[in-house]
Amino acid sequence: MTTLQPNSGPGRLFIVEGIDGSGKSTQLDLLHKWLISEGYLVVFTEWNSSPIVKTTTRRGKQRRMLTPVSFSLIHAADFASRLYMQVIPALQAGAIVLADRYVFTAFARDGVRGLDRSWLRKLYAFAIQPTVAFYFDVPLDEAIKRILEGRPALKYYEAGLDLGLSRNPGESFRLFQGLIKNEYDHLAEEYGMVRIDATLPLVVQQQQVRQIVRPYLQGLPPMESTGLQDALKEHRLTGRYLEGKRPDEEDEA
Amino acid sequence: MNTPRFYGIRPPGVQAEAYPGRLVVIEGTDGVGRSTQIALLREWLEDCGIAVIQTGFRRSELASRGIQRAKRGHTLDPLTLNLFYATDFWDRLERNIMPALRAGMVALVDRYIFSLIARAVLRGVPRGWMEDVYGMALVPDRIFYLDITVEQLLPRVIGTAGLDYWESGQDYLRGADLYHNYTTYQQTLLAEYRRLAAEFDFRVIDGSKPVGVVFRALQQGMEDIIAGMTPSTPADGSESGPPE
Repeated sequence: MTTLQPNSGPGRLFIVEGIDGSGKSTQLDLLHKWLISEGYLVVFTEWNSSPIVKTTTRRGKQRRMLTPVSFSLIHAADFASRLYMQVIPALQAGAIVLADRYVFTAFARDGVRGLDRSWLRKLYAFAIQPTVAFYFDVPLDEAIKRILEGRPALKYYEAGLDLGLSRNPGESFRLFQGLIKNEYDHLAEEYGMVRIDATLPLVVQQQQVRQIVRPYLQGLPPMESTGLQDALKEHRLTGRYLEGKRPDEEDEA
Repeated sequence: MNTPRFYGIRPPGVQAEAYPGRLVVIEGTDGVGRSTQIALLREWLEDCGIAVIQTGFRRSELASRGIQRAKRGHTLDPLTLNLFYATDFWDRLERNIMPALRAGMVALVDRYIFSLIARAVLRGVPRGWMEDVYGMALVPDRIFYLDITVEQLLPRVIGTAGLDYWESGQDYLRGADLYHNYTTYQQTLLAEYRRLAAEFDFRVIDGSKPVGVVFRALQQGMEDIIAGMTPSTPADGSESGPPE
């Protein structure tokens, strides 16, 4: 089994992977809420969201300037930025980091775009090994159905139209996702990802995810209570002017 | 015609067919006179009837604005900055330089992968990782390196733009002594350039010499590679001297 750089911090890193429409984000969101309700310090990060890099990526996508190599490099820049600014400090502070997509997304997508697989592994050699990597495995037809039902139009790179597989966006998307799923199936094997059957009822999938995560939470300190809930109760206040604080994120432990 | 060669593996989506142009790279530290020489070379080549494109760092349509924005914050880790520069480099290589080479032009490139590698290595990024990242870069037809010592460089820089934040390594060196940091940084950087010069077959030119002398050396160094580009231009540029 291949591993990445060891996690030198006391925190934990859980990541989810899977093709579009596998339901991985829904499951990660449920895990996130549960961990908060259990009183843990949780940091969430998602693919392609670095405030420093994402405007450049968007520019490249909108103008269709990205080639397979520049597509790969700009996503690696985004990943590096989030890893060094968000993920590693949080792990060192003992937090639980949840990542919606990780290096395996790059390995799968860029591999399909023709980049050399060993080059991609060298490019991402600085990535931290997740505590657990979940792979949400779903049959292609099911995933396509879920995506196309709720979406008016597919975007150029999302549909893999840059690969020239088909001129029809729907058909291109199907072929592209099929190739990516094939990559994921190999990656899951190579990196020892935990496979979740994404056709099961959502609640069953979440039970499985929590069961797998739970043993890794031992020894993690729950977040210190700030006493906000107590203060509100004591003074009979509702906290309606507290900005950016949802009451359910505080003090539930 | 030139068959494209790559340092490592051939990048996907890049045609492998031979191109009639020439890729000429000028490397060297800031203040050594790269942009002056490129301006002179461009004029000379155009006078010979050879079309030229010029490019350098942060000039890509894709990433130049993003890099500028990112550097303003000074919150960037070295890997993100390097990958940003790699994106900028790749956008220019694939969408400016290679089309120009296929069209039969000379691409005059103000710093290539080597300055990026040197700067990153100084900031603790592993050399092997940098060389892997740039493994798909096209091997230039010629790489000139304008060599200089810190002692020769200092008066030039002080007398013009002054000591620059990044060119003094202020982003990672300690202390507020800009002069001290500049000399330390440049000394290490120049040593790294000389190491790269040996590894990647640079033509080393003494950049401390007067502009006209350096220019003549560059012209002579290009004769053999531009010979045959145009039927009416036997490489006689060495006699024309710098247009001053």
